Amino acid sequence: MSAIHVQNLYKSFGEIQAVQGVSFDVMQGEIFSLLGPNGAGKTTTISMLATLLRPDQGDAFIMGKSIRSDPMGVKAVLGMVPQEIALYEDLSARENLTFWGKMYGLRGAELKRRVNEVLEIIGLTDRAGGRVSKFSGGMKRRVNIGVALLHKPQVIYMDEPTVGIDPQSRRNILDSVVALKDQGMTVLYTTHNMEEAQELSDHIAIMDHGQMIASGTHDELVKIVGEMARITVTLLPENQDLLAEWRGIDGVEQITSEDGVHSILVEDSNRVLPRLFETANARRVRITSIDIQEPNLESVFLHLTGRALRD
Amino acid sequence: MKALDIALKDLTRSFRSLFAVMFMFGLPLLVTGLFALMFGRIGANEGFDLPRVKVVVANQDLHGPRLQAGSKNIPGGIKADTLSELMVAVLESEDMADLLEVSRAPDGAAARAVVDNRLAQVAIIIPEGFSRQFADQYGKAEVEFYQDPTLTIGPSIVKSILSQFLDGLSGIKISLDTVIDVVNTSSSGANPALVGNFIQRYLDSSITQTSDLRETLLDERLPAKPQADEKKEENNLVGILGPIMGGMAIFYAFYTGTAAAESILREEEERTLPRLFTTPIKQSTILSGKFLAVFLTVFVQFIVLLVAGRLIFQIQWGGLAALGLLVVSVVVVASSFGIFTNSFLKDTKQGGIVFGGVLTLTGMIGMMRIFTMGVASPPPMLSTITLLVPQGWAIRGLLQVMDGALISDVVLSVLVMFTWAVLFFVIGIWRFNRRYV
Repeated sequence: MSAIHVQNLYKSFGEIQAVQGVSFDVMQGEIFSLLGPNGAGKTTTISMLATLLRPDQGDAFIMGKSIRSDPMGVKAVLGMVPQEIALYEDLSARENLTFWGKMYGLRGAELKRRVNEVLEIIGLTDRAGGRVSKFSGGMKRRVNIGVALLHKPQVIYMDEPTVGIDPQSRRNILDSVVALKDQGMTVLYTTHNMEEAQELSDHIAIMDHGQMIASGTHDELVKIVGEMARITVTLLPENQDLLAEWRGIDGVEQITSEDGVHSILVEDSNRVLPRLFETANARRVRITSIDIQEPNLESVFLHLTGRALRD
Repeated sequence: MKALDIALKDLTRSFRSLFAVMFMFGLPLLVTGLFALMFGRIGANEGFDLPRVKVVVANQDLHGPRLQAGSKNIPGGIKADTLSELMVAVLESEDMADLLEVSRAPDGAAARAVVDNRLAQVAIIIPEGFSRQFADQYGKAEVEFYQDPTLTIGPSIVKSILSQFLDGLSGIKISLDTVIDVVNTSSSGANPALVGNFIQRYLDSSITQTSDLRETLLDERLPAKPQADEKKEENNLVGILGPIMGGMAIFYAFYTGTAAAESILREEEERTLPRLFTTPIKQSTILSGKFLAVFLTVFVQFIVLLVAGRLIFQIQWGGLAALGLLVVSVVVVASSFGIFTNSFLKDTKQGGIVFGGVLTLTGMIGMMRIFTMGVASPPPMLSTITLLVPQGWAIRGLLQVMDGALISDVVLSVLVMFTWAVLFFVIGIWRFNRRYV
């Protein structure tokens, strides 16, 4: 069953078409990533799904509830982790969680229990009384996520939750996202970071200029593009006989050379690489540098748009 | 319930901010405190703390005619046998102790030396035969007044006291001389000794019939202050501080209303407001919570300031019923004004314009009634101008209540404030709702 069913959403701001006919489905209990560069329309899409923005056209159903006709029903099953830290910095972590818990309808002993549980989940039990303003960026991010977990939502939206934080905090957050999935929650995750999408997601939708340009599992996306791995090497000394021998190796599709740098297109880099080293050793040629680019979402995006994802 | 949670959260945030607390409570009390210090000292007749003037007296009039009134008949507990001793005793009396520090010198030269050495500011030298000369119809009684020429205030005080005393005596002598001259021309002449004795008796009689010597001689310098006058001074001080404190409370209530309403914009910038909109709460409930926070913040501030004014400055705010009604209307109009002004702002950066411009300007216009309280006849246009802004009506109402007005007397002010409030609130709500839909 679809936890999130999106039907042909449109949203424009004046002349700017922010989202143009986006449709997708997210199954219950999976992590679904919206991947795209800044300005692709990810946040506008997620804002419509969170009922913060009203779509110009189309509709979406979150756990069967329409964002148009039943926004309060949508909000009740939803936990939202906004891109920015949306906390009261002059309140403590516990005060923040308590306040937001009340906003989700929790009261009394249940509220207290959930606040303690969430503090445990985000690893801030010891710092519960500390003011958020005194927290590091990573700790604030964790509280920011904790707020969305208080009412045990069925669906969580996470809008670029790792922006601007240190690698260790980023690692913690990615682990916590996986943990949420393990608890059966459905996660809609937006990012412009290809590695995050690749690591976390069951399904990925690539967005650009308000449109969804590709969608599927990581492997499906790579297959759509059909690009091979590219091995780039430099040799000392240059040896044309070696390059001719490499062209004859099974699995090597193409070798091009430019300014002493040789690009080798291969079907499977793991199978070809040992053969390249063996033949080079036999001819007493040293491989002085080597770079392997496996087919990835970056190359998919490049293939589809003609631009790098990081541009 | 959730609206109340939002309001309580905002209150917690407001009162946790040292800056906000200082702004809401510290500043109004500080300003009024400064006025209290300024007027309080004068009101309590502490006046200026002048140092006591050092006076050295050399009384060489040792064998003058004795006052026939006798020491026991001289009021104020002053003991003196001769006129010169009476003069010295007055200078050394307790009544003068807060003004003069009197010491004695054996003779005129010693007294002048003390002044020359700057150990005293003034030397008063009463020459030998002073009392006798005064009693003589044709005598010339003079006191030498020797002062440090570099000083002005201290010697002037002593000269003033001395002049008061001597002028009184001279008046007596002139009137007696006139009488005696008339007697001399109409009869065979008068016995000089008899005339001297006559003058002496007149003087004695003048002194003994006076119920309060200090009042007679030095009334203008040290007026006696009955208990009722002290009470009046105290009331005058409260009369000055009351409107100032009331004006401050109203002025800052409008500031707080605007600052508290600005939290809506601040939450928008902090992204907590959009997050609130993702929770299962109606937008109207969220905005109601925010507005409730504004009302509660202004209410708490206003009440605290009124209570503080009563406890610290003993300000009588007037009847409880009328005051209560006025407080509610001031809180409502100040809060609505804050919501109204903030609804026109794009972000908190524009708040400076409101605080620096709109609030200060309207606040000052409203407080003109207080600024001109000391003016004998303020321009009639003034009271009309003050009523162009809600602060003016609030101050009008508060001054009415402080003057003992009943509910019926302040109905107009209250109604006008509520009308302002409804207008502000409806426009503010409409604009905010439209903004967040």
